[in-house]
Amino acid sequence: MPVYNFKALPTVPSASDLLDVVLSKTQRQTPTVVRGKWQISRIRQFYMRKVKYTQQTFHDKLGKVLDSFPKLDDIHPFYSDLMNVLYDRDHYKLALGQIHTAVGLIDKIAKDYVRLLKYGDSLYRCKQLKKAALGRMCTLMKKQKASLVYLEQVRQHMSRLPSIDPNTRTLLVCGYPNVGKSSFMNTVTRADVEVEPYAFTTKSLYVGHMDFKYLRWQVIDTPGILDRPLETRNTIEMQSITALAHLRAVILYIVDISEQCGYTIAQQAALFHSIKPLFANKPLLVVCNKTDAQAMEDLPQKSKDLLEEMKKAADMNCAGLTASMVVDSSSADGGLVTMSTLKEDGVSDVKNKACEMLLMSRVDQKLKTRKTNDVLNRLHVALPSTGVRAPNIPKSVLANAKAGYPKSERKTEKDLQEENGGAGVYSMDVRKNYLLEKDEWKYDKIPEIFDGHNVADFVDPDIEERLAELEREEEAMLQEEENQMDEESEDDLTAEEKQTLKKIRAKKSKIIMDHRKKKQKGQGSAHIARKHDTERRLTSRRMRDELGEMGVDASAAIERNRGRSVTRRGKKRALEDDEDMEGRSKSRSKSRSAVLGRTHSSKSRSRSRGPSVAHSAEPGSGFKHSAQKMKAQILSDKMQRKMQKLARKGEGDRIIPNEMPKHLFSGKRGIGKTDRR
Amino acid sequence: MRLETCWFCSSNIYPGRGVVFARNDGTVFRFCRSKCHNNFKMKRNPRKVKWTKAYRAAKGKDLTNDTTFELERKRNRPERYNRDVMQKTLKAMERITDIRNQRESRFIANRLKERKRQERKLARKQLDQEIHLVQSPAAAIASTSKEKLKTPVEKVRGRQKMQE
Repeated sequence: MPVYNFKALPTVPSASDLLDVVLSKTQRQTPTVVRGKWQISRIRQFYMRKVKYTQQTFHDKLGKVLDSFPKLDDIHPFYSDLMNVLYDRDHYKLALGQIHTAVGLIDKIAKDYVRLLKYGDSLYRCKQLKKAALGRMCTLMKKQKASLVYLEQVRQHMSRLPSIDPNTRTLLVCGYPNVGKSSFMNTVTRADVEVEPYAFTTKSLYVGHMDFKYLRWQVIDTPGILDRPLETRNTIEMQSITALAHLRAVILYIVDISEQCGYTIAQQAALFHSIKPLFANKPLLVVCNKTDAQAMEDLPQKSKDLLEEMKKAADMNCAGLTASMVVDSSSADGGLVTMSTLKEDGVSDVKNKACEMLLMSRVDQKLKTRKTNDVLNRLHVALPSTGVRAPNIPKSVLANAKAGYPKSERKTEKDLQEENGGAGVYSMDVRKNYLLEKDEWKYDKIPEIFDGHNVADFVDPDIEERLAELEREEEAMLQEEENQMDEESEDDLTAEEKQTLKKIRAKKSKIIMDHRKKKQKGQGSAHIARKHDTERRLTSRRMRDELGEMGVDASAAIERNRGRSVTRRGKKRALEDDEDMEGRSKSRSKSRSAVLGRTHSSKSRSRSRGPSVAHSAEPGSGFKHSAQKMKAQILSDKMQRKMQKLARKGEGDRIIPNEMPKHLFSGKRGIGKTDRR
Repeated sequence: MRLETCWFCSSNIYPGRGVVFARNDGTVFRFCRSKCHNNFKMKRNPRKVKWTKAYRAAKGKDLTNDTTFELERKRNRPERYNRDVMQKTLKAMERITDIRNQRESRFIANRLKERKRQERKLARKQLDQEIHLVQSPAAAIASTSKEKLKTPVEKVRGRQKMQE
């Protein structure tokens, strides 16, 4: 059962608003930066996303409109007819249909252009395709301008429609204009309907609510109806007709017997008869209003006859509905009741009667359905069985109660307390109530803590077995470990080995230390060429000692080195030595010859030269000949000279020791310069 | 009356010692001394503090799984007192603790063995591969070869005879 609440319909944006919203949303929600350097697939994807997103937004926005507007074929016939009357069914359907088609077309455009975009081969083309796609979508939407405007108007009107529930208990008030329909409504409900002394004050349907028999009833006030053919009726009247035709309600046909409304009773009767077909299958009540202005009794016979006729017709109408109602209506004054809305005379009677009629007809209708039998079959009313249901007290209890209960012989703790000095002195013996195997255990001193353990944690009836098991386990474990010890061969180092190892480690650590020391020295400063072994490390004595430690006899090498020294004495000795040791190894003879050679040369010649550069240009070194190589060497030396002067490692050494000298970056410089303080 | 264990360091708390903190969710924390309590207040995790039992257990430094632990277990359903059982229990307790202590010390000794094994292996390797730092390989060659050259076999024999 749908609920007819048209207040919650979403607003329909106008065409230009819709375009703005959709396009700006696309702009905001999709990436905006695209570069020509991107891969073409990425560019395509970028624009495809835009097209798809626009289409999706259009689809969503319009889809929401389409979904929210009621379908005339699906809603209650009352509403569909009412909307036909108010908004013209064809126009309404056409507008929705056009929007629907537009959505389909937009989807199709997007699909086509996405397909085209797959073949876009440059950013420019892709962009043009996107532009075309969005442009076409927008043009399409612009054409829907009229439909959107119409729908918005419909929405606004619909949101103001009274929320009439077509299926609840309803009183429907109808009659000629200005006969007092709205006044009745105002007296019966709390709805504040406008009442004025001219025709067609009420121009649309109004709804009010009231209570009767703890039920909620809705009262619908309809605009007045004129007696003319259906085709010539205007929209205002048609609303009443729609309500009359489609709502299953009790109808109160109000007749102004004072004829103040400008229509005679005859005219009103004629109207009643002409719209009688609309009353079929509904309880109907003819109400004579304005009895304050014109008493019923004072009416001319002719009018009375007319009213009587109307009443008969109403009764006939009701007779078709139920048998019970006929009885009811004949007992009272039937379908014709009188009231005065001005003096509020008989208004509640009218109301009650109408409500009773409707209730009865609804109940009857419900009883007629197949469901009632099912419900009745399931009902069962249980009744208590008959007989006396008195309280039941056992006989022994009654006897005891008569004889009085025997006094107990047991000594209570309270008795004990009294015997042993009373409250505060006596302290109760708790242990005597212990439930133990032997009574003599009751007063045992039970250890709680023993050797840093809780005794309670160990207590176990089969502790002995468990301990025995543990002992066995322990034994097995020890056995296993012993076996392992045997297997493990004693691989300890001998004392000699230990000594050697100690030496190795000491030597190693010394080497490492020396290295670190050396490294530290050169850190952060330009490499300064060592003059010549300033620490006197590279001495022959040292060599002899160190090598001697390592077990190498270096005396021969030292000897050879000494042989080169140029002292007169040395030379002499060498000569003598040579004479002594004739016929020794070749190396020796060579050194001797060197020494001898020196004796023949002039002392002015420098004996040693610095390391010289190889003059020959090796193949693959990139030089044509040795001259070129020399030149390159000289040039590179020249280059080096500058670097060395500046104490740089090379060209790459561009370190600035202090990038921000403090004196240049601190102090006052409001007016002056940075370098002046 | 029973000995409780410290929440932080797992040591025994004798009756009348330490501090108890009951959190408002009903959890009870017992601390043996202010050191443990302060550590708890600093939100330290006992598993990450080296001096606690929890750390040692978590890192496998102490014995954790053993049958002796199962013999000492807090029971929520107390046994009814029986003098004989109590006597046996007290005797057994001594033995159980004894075994347990032995096992614990053995566990640690076993654990340390591996390190020693590795050290020995390293020493062997060093002796084998870095001997050149203290003893030149040339020395060994020189010593053997020189001796051969220096004194012919007959001379040595002769000298020996002379000595005799």
